[in-house]
Amino acid sequence: MIRNLNIILIFTSMLMLAGVYTIKFAIENTASERTALIVQIDSQQGDLSLLKADEAVLNQPGHIEPIIRRHVAALAIAPVRQEQFGSFVDLPMRPVKPNMAAMDSLFTALDAGIDPIDAILELEGIE
Amino acid sequence: MAVTADGHGPTIALDGARKVRGNLTHARIRWMILALVLGFGVIGVRLVQLGMVETDSSIEGQARDIITATRPPILDRNGLEMAVDIRVPSLYAEPRRIIDVEEAVRKLRTVLPDLSEDWLRQRLTGDQGFVWVQRELSPAIEEKVMRLGIPGIDFITESKRFYPGMTEASHVLGSTNIDNQGIAGIERHMDGEDVALLQDLGLARGNALTPVKLSVDMRVQHVMHEQLLDAIQRYSAIAAAGVMVDIYTGEVIALVSLPDFDPNVPASALVKDSFNRVTAGIFEPGSIFKTITMAAALDSGAVKITDQFDARFGVRFGRYTIDDFHGKHRILSLPEVYKYSSNVGIIHVMQALGKERFRAFLNTIGFDQRVPFELPEMRLPSIPKTFSDVGAATASFGHGLSVSPLHIVTAYAALVNGGNFIEPTLYKRDVADAQALYRRVIKPETSAEIRYLMRLNALEGSGSQMNKEALGYRVGGKTGTAEKVVDGRYSSNKVTNFFGSAFPLDNPRYAMIIMVDEPKAENAQSGTTAGWNAGTVSGRVIQRVAPMLGIAPDFAKVLDENLVPSVLR
Repeated sequence: MIRNLNIILIFTSMLMLAGVYTIKFAIENTASERTALIVQIDSQQGDLSLLKADEAVLNQPGHIEPIIRRHVAALAIAPVRQEQFGSFVDLPMRPVKPNMAAMDSLFTALDAGIDPIDAILELEGIE
Repeated sequence: MAVTADGHGPTIALDGARKVRGNLTHARIRWMILALVLGFGVIGVRLVQLGMVETDSSIEGQARDIITATRPPILDRNGLEMAVDIRVPSLYAEPRRIIDVEEAVRKLRTVLPDLSEDWLRQRLTGDQGFVWVQRELSPAIEEKVMRLGIPGIDFITESKRFYPGMTEASHVLGSTNIDNQGIAGIERHMDGEDVALLQDLGLARGNALTPVKLSVDMRVQHVMHEQLLDAIQRYSAIAAAGVMVDIYTGEVIALVSLPDFDPNVPASALVKDSFNRVTAGIFEPGSIFKTITMAAALDSGAVKITDQFDARFGVRFGRYTIDDFHGKHRILSLPEVYKYSSNVGIIHVMQALGKERFRAFLNTIGFDQRVPFELPEMRLPSIPKTFSDVGAATASFGHGLSVSPLHIVTAYAALVNGGNFIEPTLYKRDVADAQALYRRVIKPETSAEIRYLMRLNALEGSGSQMNKEALGYRVGGKTGTAEKVVDGRYSSNKVTNFFGSAFPLDNPRYAMIIMVDEPKAENAQSGTTAGWNAGTVSGRVIQRVAPMLGIAPDFAKVLDENLVPSVLR
């Protein structure tokens, strides 16, 4: 009986040995994958930091101004002057009610076949 | 079988077979135990030995973590990056692992020809575990060196500080050395705070650090930098500086000092001539000091805005007579004293106040100590402890004492914001936080009178050059032309010019000081006094930055009329 038990134990231990080695190699594989990923992440973070720095340079007012200066003539732009600022207060108020008389005369003219826009187009030389 | 003989004659003792076998088994077990104990003992000793070995993780005396530690990015008030970390490879060698030094030297020099052969050979020979070969290289070079396949040569990724704004905010940011420690400016201040602690703990790694937001607006900073560069060229000046603060929060919106340096080249940060003139330079402020004298006198009640002063004759102190530059030589009202920048008038104003009370006011407004500010580059102002009669007289128009432009701008901010002194800061701060720090230095009514005087000077006095440039932005200011001392005498052709301003004065938000050092006349029609250079520079800066700061131009006369105190209307 003891002999049988020993045989069973020997086989079990060999099986477990095989199992342990399988696990060991699997872990080593995972670890090397992990290391490779860490290296990759690291290098990508490095690239990212360079790209971010590039972006920051491109966003600097000190970088943009010379570009604008180069294109002043081509784009016909100039720094804004104080007189160019307006505000909503400066806009004329909407008329209290529509100008009925003017509308009536416009519609009668249109009915009569005269379109006032034709006169303006003719004046501008547009057919 | 075992035979034992004792002393009583030959006796034969015979053990049974079972006993003999039992003894043998006992002996075997003992030997086995001994073998096992020895075996495990050896393993145990080896384990302890391995445990005792200290892996050398330091790099030339510094912990590896500190070398690879990152610093938080620095952003301006709108979130634009002013300083970022980039990862760069650094080349190092482990000399004890290098097999063939000659080969390594030869191969390395094919990629890095700048390295001296002897230096490299000496560097790679020996038994050290770690030596730097060259730090902060490019990824392309890393690739090439790795292809050489030299054993014992490897790279480590370091963090390097990069300043995308180049020279523009150099004095605000300062710089960092190759080990990523701040050596000047806000970088150094940050190290003094908590970054150093984080780095020591090895926590400051990765991108986990919260960005530091500064109060600086890079757009305004850029405009000021550009205009000051232009001023140096236009007026052939030797230096220029400027600082703008938010008068309610004390936030510094822009701070420029020229000549400056490139923070990306740390060595240039410590060149003597590129010191921060705003914080670490002290100058005789000249007539911009009259605003402070006026505020002191008006606030004490010793003079009133309706008072008149006799400026017909110079003021005599023993052998000296102090007279006006382009004087009017008549009786001047108080606003006229300010408008014509009359030295005689301001001496009378100061004398009405009394020199002790005048000196005490200078203390109140913080002129006896460094401005409490983040930058490490600060200097103590130099003001006599007590004033003699003549000393107080010259001090009333800004001579015989030296303060930094930051002192003046802090004082101006307090004088126009309703009379509350607020320490300037480079970090973001909101009005509620600032109000807790307010210290009242003058009454709100006096502040209103100062706003009127400053606007008056821009409309009719020495600030009109400035006002022409910044029309519509309700700027007020005071010029200051301080003669420099050359060989122990005041020289009239070497001057330091200041312009102190605040805008928009109907609802003031910002105060600014512009300094131009030793300007020449731009052309034959112009002069060298402050209105011509520091004044126009201020005007040009405000003309460009006011829209960025959300200030719309308004040409309504009524805004200026509202500034006039009711007693003068």
